[in-house]
Amino acid sequence: MPPGATSKGIVLSESVDARFRKLFSIEGGNFQAAGSVSKQIKMILKQLSIDNDLIWRAMIVAYEAEMNAVLYARSCEVTLSVSTHCVSLQFKDRGPGIPDIGLAMTEGYSTATREMRERGFGAGLGLPNMKKTADRFSIESVVGEGTTLQMELDIP
Amino acid sequence: MGAHDSFHSIKIDEQRCIGCVTCMHACPVKAIRLRNGKASVYKHDLCIDCGECLRVCPVQAVQSMTSKVVELAQFKVKVALPSPVLYAQYSDATTPNDILLALHKLGFDHVFDMALSCEMVLIAIEEYLNRMTDVRPIISNYCPAVVRLILKNYPNLMDRVVPIEVPREVAAKQIRKSLAAELKLDPTEIGIFHLTPCPAKLISIQKPIGVERSNLDDAIAIRDIYIPLLNALKEVGDDDLILQKSSGVGISWAISRSNVGGLPQHRSLTVRGLEEVIHILDQVEAGKLTDIDYLECAACPGGCVGGPLVVQNRHVAAAQVDTLIEQYGVRTRLDRRKILRSYEENYLIPGLHRKTRAVSHGQVDLVKALEVMNQVEETIGRLPGMNCGACGAPDCRTLAEDIAAGDAVLTDCVFMKIKELEDEVEGHRRKS
Repeated sequence: MPPGATSKGIVLSESVDARFRKLFSIEGGNFQAAGSVSKQIKMILKQLSIDNDLIWRAMIVAYEAEMNAVLYARSCEVTLSVSTHCVSLQFKDRGPGIPDIGLAMTEGYSTATREMRERGFGAGLGLPNMKKTADRFSIESVVGEGTTLQMELDIP
Repeated sequence: MGAHDSFHSIKIDEQRCIGCVTCMHACPVKAIRLRNGKASVYKHDLCIDCGECLRVCPVQAVQSMTSKVVELAQFKVKVALPSPVLYAQYSDATTPNDILLALHKLGFDHVFDMALSCEMVLIAIEEYLNRMTDVRPIISNYCPAVVRLILKNYPNLMDRVVPIEVPREVAAKQIRKSLAAELKLDPTEIGIFHLTPCPAKLISIQKPIGVERSNLDDAIAIRDIYIPLLNALKEVGDDDLILQKSSGVGISWAISRSNVGGLPQHRSLTVRGLEEVIHILDQVEAGKLTDIDYLECAACPGGCVGGPLVVQNRHVAAAQVDTLIEQYGVRTRLDRRKILRSYEENYLIPGLHRKTRAVSHGQVDLVKALEVMNQVEETIGRLPGMNCGACGAPDCRTLAEDIAAGDAVLTDCVFMKIKELEDEVEGHRRKS
């Protein structure tokens, strides 16, 4: 398991104190603010001089998750955590939930073309592509309550 | 580098600056700070030379570094390359050809219709779009502020920027070569000047990206040449000399619409105004807009006609451009095959995509960076969040960052200062 894969229980020599955490919230249906959380996350990662490619991948997953929250959820709490090894993004929404996660996660259950997805920046990036873009991805959903996405990207 | 690094296409005149916060708030990249009651471009590496500060300054303290007409004298042969925006500055009765002839009378030995170069470049861009089909969208490069914005804030999108030389450079390169041969001159004896609607073009001449040096010598603001040219226009008679070679396709670059008759096979999208450009680049960075072939971005509202160094109102100028496009048609008279014969030699700039990676740092630096970020967040929590700018930074977050960087102190914030003084008074009262 790469370092920091599950932050609990692993003592990282220097990163325990250096850990940075920030919370954001997204309002469902607020298109005026859509994209602003991703943008703030980008600014923070940029100021931390995180590798450009990693910022790019983080933006792809964050923007997609943010747009999903604006489109489908009532509200969503976002937690950005950065350690010396890993950038982690959690999107915890209060919303309709996903009845069939298996179907939602199925390759091709998306409107994006194959080439777009292969390149990782296709229009209509869905959950499978967020999974592809992040180093680790987990999803939990309860119908009628909401969905929680957890994505981690390793700092090279 | 050193001093040269701090060169910008604008400078702030300390004598004139009244220390209001207008430019600091308008700066889209937060490069300006107020120090000792005067504004300055404090963060040189953030400045993208967009000229927004110049546009908004209420007392004209922000000045363009473009040259004055009198500075032409140092060159043996003087060449004018006017932006097509110049064609939209005068009345309807003034034709582009009149303007080119008047520039002649003004003392330019050679005057070249740059709108024609726009048409040449458009053919080269179309070729690039045809050859490079796997990356979309391709982003335009003629606005130097946009290119600098991408380089600094969207480095991952740099390889989307079209690596085709901009019209002013293509024209200057060809003119210098042919004039030097024709007149048997040393190329340095020829002074080639771009007549520009914005100061940003100057930065692309002084500090070009992707090439060793610019083919142009300097830029002159359209508003500085406006009146001399108005007088020269009166001397233009029924001259038979035809200097205008362009059609509406080239002239349309003044309103940043290179798709006018130019890219029929491709889907293009035009975005004008820096705030809008930033919005659209955020989307491109997030993997959107891949169905667009060519994304044209101009920093100024309305495109180049909205540059801060023009005279005519941008809406009036845009209407004028529309009239000119109608008048001169949307079909280029250029021979496409002839242009493409020198595609590699005259148009392609392979150096543009050379990766400009942020220096990857070690874990120790990241530990430090994370500590600083925590400190910034902690400071933000203490600041009032009014973004008033009285501290000399554009908003509370930026002040917090400046404090963390050692460039400011907490009591630069007037509210923090008041609190400190109140605490002091309270302390004295308790003692007595």
